Order: sequence, then structure tokens, then C-alpha cells
Amino acid sequence: MTSTEHTSTPDSATRPIELGFALVDERELAAFARHERVTRDDYLDQLGEARDCVTLPDDAEPTHFFLGSEFCEHLLPSVESIDRAVALCERWGLTFGLVTPIACDGLFDPLRAALARLPAGCEVTINDWGVARLVQREFPALRPVAGRLLGKMLKDPRLPSATWARMYPNGLRAGPFRDILDGLGIGRLELDFPPFGAADMYAGIDFPVGVRAPYGYIAKGRICKLGSLSLDTPEKFSPGHQCRRECLGFNEVGARPGTHELHTSQRGNTMYYRHAQGMATAVAEAVNNGWVSRIVLSGA
Amino acid sequence: MRITAPISAPAEVEPLVRAGARELYCGVVPPDWIQRFNTSGVNRRVFGNLNGYADLERVVDKATALDAEVFLVLNAQQYGEQHLDALTEIGARFRGIGGKAAIVADISLIASLAANVPDLDIHVSSVATCRNVESARFFAALGAKRIILPRDVTVAEIAAITQALPELDVEAFVLNDGCVFEEGACHTVHLPMNKGGPICIDNYQFEYQATGGDKPQARALRRLEQNDLDYKRWLWYRFGNGFSVAPNWFPWGPCGLCAMPAMHAAGVHSVKIAGREGASERKIKSVELVARVLERIAAGEAEHAVREFAVGLRDSPSHCASGYMCYYPEVRSRQATGDAEGKLLTAV
Repeated sequence: MTSTEHTSTPDSATRPIELGFALVDERELAAFARHERVTRDDYLDQLGEARDCVTLPDDAEPTHFFLGSEFCEHLLPSVESIDRAVALCERWGLTFGLVTPIACDGLFDPLRAALARLPAGCEVTINDWGVARLVQREFPALRPVAGRLLGKMLKDPRLPSATWARMYPNGLRAGPFRDILDGLGIGRLELDFPPFGAADMYAGIDFPVGVRAPYGYIAKGRICKLGSLSLDTPEKFSPGHQCRRECLGFNEVGARPGTHELHTSQRGNTMYYRHAQGMATAVAEAVNNGWVSRIVLSGA
Repeated sequence: MRITAPISAPAEVEPLVRAGARELYCGVVPPDWIQRFNTSGVNRRVFGNLNGYADLERVVDKATALDAEVFLVLNAQQYGEQHLDALTEIGARFRGIGGKAAIVADISLIASLAANVPDLDIHVSSVATCRNVESARFFAALGAKRIILPRDVTVAEIAAITQALPELDVEAFVLNDGCVFEEGACHTVHLPMNKGGPICIDNYQFEYQATGGDKPQARALRRLEQNDLDYKRWLWYRFGNGFSVAPNWFPWGPCGLCAMPAMHAAGVHSVKIAGREGASERKIKSVELVARVLERIAAGEAEHAVREFAVGLRDSPSHCASGYMCYYPEVRSRQATGDAEGKLLTAV
């Protein structure tokens, strides 16, 4: 593996925070297209009532716009939508990023077609080591970012205390992890802020860190309950089937009875927790200290 | 094709090998680990581990005498950087007593073991979610000798990897213990049952919302609720048919027996039986079950005959017919629909 240059997180303390919005449903691009330029309020409005779970610095204004899913092979945007999003970002003066999931082999050709639409300098959020190789070898002009599926950490909202969380530390500071990302040309990490997380938990990491807010993901499957809605009974809940993207129309919200845990939901194959106010405050503190240099807003 | 079986005690080695397992995998919690790191999390399971190095050595000695290989699980989803040296030492010690391979998911640990214990084979754990050719190439470049595929892949996807990378051994699940989420993308712990157990069967009370926050229309809600009932039934199968066994004591639960001929044809090196935490009798019956199918394959029986034999082994074909007990349900579907080439399977 060869080393590449990357900017460490503390350097970013002197720069304004980067702010992105990540859109999964390509049909919603139409609503964004009405804006001649986008503001932080345009981004926050997309979150509905969950906007109260985000604390942004006063100078945070949009710098990035992302399209695509981290969690599902069936939600790769069409090349037409990618073209449209790229054009919107050019109009808005923002950096565009394509978000990609863990991939089966059948996804690689559509991915190649999608990546080929991206101008040099666009970001690719990567959640699969094979996709990382693909981007490095075939699309070296793009800027790969390690997505939150590659930044492993415990995120169980049911943990009784912080002590439990400390039993399973993350490996984001491990030398080999850094070397492998360097070797793949990955220069940035996108992470969740976990339950019981501390503001300084990303201090000292050798890569610029972005945090998704206000939803973190808990677990994701390849089997999708909602994606099986239109399948015949014996065919449901198995890999390798088409779906009708039912997850874009419905989600599930709820809790464990008798608890006061984080607001929890499930959309398609993925479970999410929503940041509590204290977590939003901790993320803001991390931003103020330069430990987090980007916030990527996204729904659940 | 070999059978890879779980063990959690030296006494299990001989009956499992006699039953047909040629590869055994186990975990160990070294005595100083808990003191040093204040956690028992050496691998993915808190329970089902050997008691210490002495037991590990006994396991390796017994297995070697019976011409079987032993693999050590160091397969936590992630480790802190403070753990890497200690884990690498465990790997070196295991190799020193005759262990064959470490089963690893964390890429930092893979790199560390490859650099520091080069004689120890590296098997990429299913927890690493390696399920495409390019990803397999990535792990091979890090030093992997084998890829253990995650659950919920198709036989066609397995074949794509075995054909593209014949130098890599591929291992695939065949029996027991189905996760609902992808292991490598499930960032939870299996809590004690009185605190909720695994999150996928915890008592969450969810309500459906249409996008925008409204309640779904009545017709849509009825369909969603019917789908939920099907899902609960699938969960029952996913968790070992309610953690039960067949009348002839063969285990229920996620199963790929009738896909074994196709896996064999695809070049799968080993089939994996899950369940380190299970009872010894369950492990032994599991190996017997898989071995009986493997014997038919080795004897050159036709694929359809092996499938029929596999379906009849537990003497309750209705569970197989449900389609919900299958690791590779497309094999059953292809038979039912006459889609011999798997054309209905479009991965994307």
C-alpha cells in the first residue's frame, strides 16, 4: 500500500464547517430543483421535526450535496438523476457526492455507469471494500470517502450504560486501518455519532471526519421486510430479488415498551436511532473543537 | 467439499470429526485478557469459548491426531488499536501449537496477522461482509487465504467469486443460526434476554408511517400487516424453528442442504455449520446431517436426487416447502418454477 496525502481533523478547526445533505429518493430532486441556491434552512427543512435534533454552527452553509443509498443495492440512482444532481450542484456551487452501498457483483456494472457520469473532484461515499478498489482503479479523478459502514463501532441504543459501550472500542485510530485507507486513496471518514458518544471521541483521528445527523444507523440487513411486500409468500425475505422500493413510501417508528431510549425507526432493511438533544450538543462541541469538520444531514 | 464445525470444548473434537467434520473452529478467552482490557470480547461471542490456552492446545492436539484442522475465531467486528498487539500474540501462540488459521473480520487485525504471523492462514470472517469479487480481491491482497461468505448470498453470487478467484478458498453457510441483519452491519450486542436479547427479536413496538408522517391508507396498512405476519413466520424459521429439533433429533433452522450439490459444483471449499454456543448434541447431529448429504454428492448422485434426499432427512418436508428455512431459497424456487438457470434471480 502506498501513502497518500490527507488532511488531519485538527487543521479543519480554522475553517468553516462543511455542511451536506444526503438524499436517498431521487424523485425528491424535483423539489430541490426549484431552488436557485440552497441554504442551511432548505437542508434543515427536509428533516421535518427532526431538525430540532441538530445543532449547527452559525456559519454553517451548504457545501455538499449527496445522492444515493448506503444501505441498499436497489436504490442506486439512475444516470439521469445523477446528471440532474450534478447540474444542480454546479448551479448551487456545491460539491456533489454519490453514495454507494455494500454491493453484490450484479451492481458493479450499474455502478460503473453511474460513476462515469461524475465530473472530476466529485466525492463517492464508499461502504464496500470492493467498490473502493473499483473507484481507485477505474475512477481515480473522484474522491472516495469511507462511509459509515466501514467505520465500525457499537451503536446499540438499548445499552444500559456507557460502561457497556466502552467494552467494544472502535479501531478508527489503528495504524493498519489508516494505511489501508491511504492505500485506497480514501481521504475522509463519514461516521455516526453513537449512543453514549463523547464530544472528543473523534479527536486525534488521522482523517477529516464527517458525522451524519440527526440519525445514526443501528443495523442493516440484506433481507428486507418491506421490500418483500409485493413478492409471493414463498419468495419473500430472500436475497437477489427486485423490489418496488416500498421503503421510500413507508417506514416504521416506535420504541421498546417501558423504556425512554432514543427515538427508533426502521426504513426498509435498516434500523436507525435519532440523536437526542445531548448528542446534538456533543456533535456541536466536536465541531467547535475541530474534531468533526463536516455534518451530513440525512433522514432515516 | 469439507464440513466446518463449531466446538467449545475439547471433548467435542472426536465426536465431531468422527461424524464427518474435517475443519473445526473455536474461540478462546485468554486468562489475562479480561484483566487487561476489562472485556471478554475477544471474538464475536461472549459464550461458547474454550476456557483457556490449555484447552486450545488439547483441541489442536486431538484434531491433528484425527487429521482435522483447527481455526481460531478472532472475529469481532472491530477492535481498538490497543487490542491489536495482544490479538496478534494470540494468533502467534495459536500457530505455535499447530493451529491452522485465524478467522478475522477487522481489517487492521488481518493486516497485523499477515505481517507478523505469516504462517497462520487468514480466513476472512462472514462478519467482514465480503460478498463480491472485487471485495474478495481486496482481502486476498491483504493476505487472506479463504473467504467465509456472509449469510444471504445466492449460489450464483458464490459461483462468481469461486470462478473469478480459484486460488481463494470459499466457505459458505450450510446450517444453523440465522442472523436477520448482516453481521458486519449490525452494531449491537446480544443483550441478556432479560434486557432484550438480540435486537432483531427484541420487543420493539413499531407503527407504520407513510412518508410525510401520515398513517398509511387502510388498504396499504392491511397489506403491510399481512406482510408482517409472513415476516414473523420467517423469523420463527430464522431462529431455528423456535429453537427446536426434528423428531429424529436433527436440528431445525436455516439450512442449505439441498443447495449443497450446486455449491459443490460452484467450487465451494467448505460448508459452515454455525453455533459455537449450542449444545454438543446439536453440533454432532448437525455434522451428521450435512455429512449424509455430502456422502451422496461424493458418490456422484444426480443433483435432483441429492436434493430430494436432503429434503427428506428431517422427515418434515413442509418446513422445506415454506421456503423460509432456506439459506439459498432460490434453489428451491428454481425447482418449483422450472427456472433451471436461475434467470428469475436478478441480484439488482
